[in-house]
Amino acid sequence: MSRSSRAVITLPKTAKRGEVFEIRAIVQHEMESGFRHTEQGVRVARDIIREFVCTYNGKEVFRSELHPGIGSNPLFIFYAKAEQSGSLEFKWTGDDNYLTIVKQTITVL
Amino acid sequence: MRLLGQLALLGLLLAAPIFSYADSRISAYALMSPSNQAMQNDMNLNPAMFWIMDGEALWADRNNPSNKACVDCHRDAKQSMKGVSATFPKRVQGKLLNLEGQINQCRTTRQQLPTLAYESKPLLALSTLIAYQSRGLAIAASRDSALEPDLQKGKLLYFQRMGQLNLSCAQCHDERAGLKLAGSVIPQAHPTGYPIYRLEWQNVGSLQRRLRNCMSGVRAEQYAYGSLELSQIELYLMQRANGMRIESPAVRP
Repeated sequence: MSRSSRAVITLPKTAKRGEVFEIRAIVQHEMESGFRHTEQGVRVARDIIREFVCTYNGKEVFRSELHPGIGSNPLFIFYAKAEQSGSLEFKWTGDDNYLTIVKQTITVL
Repeated sequence: MRLLGQLALLGLLLAAPIFSYADSRISAYALMSPSNQAMQNDMNLNPAMFWIMDGEALWADRNNPSNKACVDCHRDAKQSMKGVSATFPKRVQGKLLNLEGQINQCRTTRQQLPTLAYESKPLLALSTLIAYQSRGLAIAASRDSALEPDLQKGKLLYFQRMGQLNLSCAQCHDERAGLKLAGSVIPQAHPTGYPIYRLEWQNVGSLQRRLRNCMSGVRAEQYAYGSLELSQIELYLMQRANGMRIESPAVRP
């Protein structure tokens, strides 16, 4: 059983063919670095997102590896070129069976 | 002529409100970088949005002995909670309550649930959801005369030196506001944006967390979460910021 969390994607509903459009993807995650200790001195286990991938009609358009130095609720802002109408899939995977997948559609005019 | 001038001056002094900061008050928002300001303004970038979404889920949660959700009494939070956070803290049944205190009071009396701990995720989710409904409205601090003793105590605490560094709130946030503490500009300490998403905390936090943060900064013993003293300071700060725009949930560095 995988763990999931909320994500908010911001992208235009429509785009002209060939147009470069902005995509914002923010996900709710504590990004526990694994370097912190509780007041009792017990180390808090690392719990971070390891990878973020965005595919556009199955084609990878953005990929990022995440590391313990990245803050909580990571936000990515990146761009893609409108080719065909279809769907974008956003996938975050991480420690402790973390998996969040969000799909959004875009219509290319 | 001189007497007339003195009379005019006296008139001006009498006409001035108790808190005469009106023109020089600024929110710490103005001190932030444009990118942090954008993060606060755009709710698709503001990480506190996740707490609002969690709060919406809790608002409709009937999983309690009374089988009652917030929504059953208060209906749509977007309507019923508009302007609510702008008026807290206030006296409810003789007790000084801040917003968090009011949420917990509702939980214990209406839902027969135990109180939520300060800075726990569900309490922050609910307070953020409620405070968000007042975004853009002016702080309308309660004018209830029964609050006068609390207000005076809060003011006293604001001007009282404390801790090993022997500093009062006023020494930094009134006398030295706009100057620098280490690399950061000292803000005027107006509670316009709580609960805030603080980048340093990597989390949403309440005004009481911020107050306790300052107390540990001056090496003072912190008042407990939910204590009367912290609510009194909250009350004084809200009166001091009366009329300023609410930014909740604000982003701060």
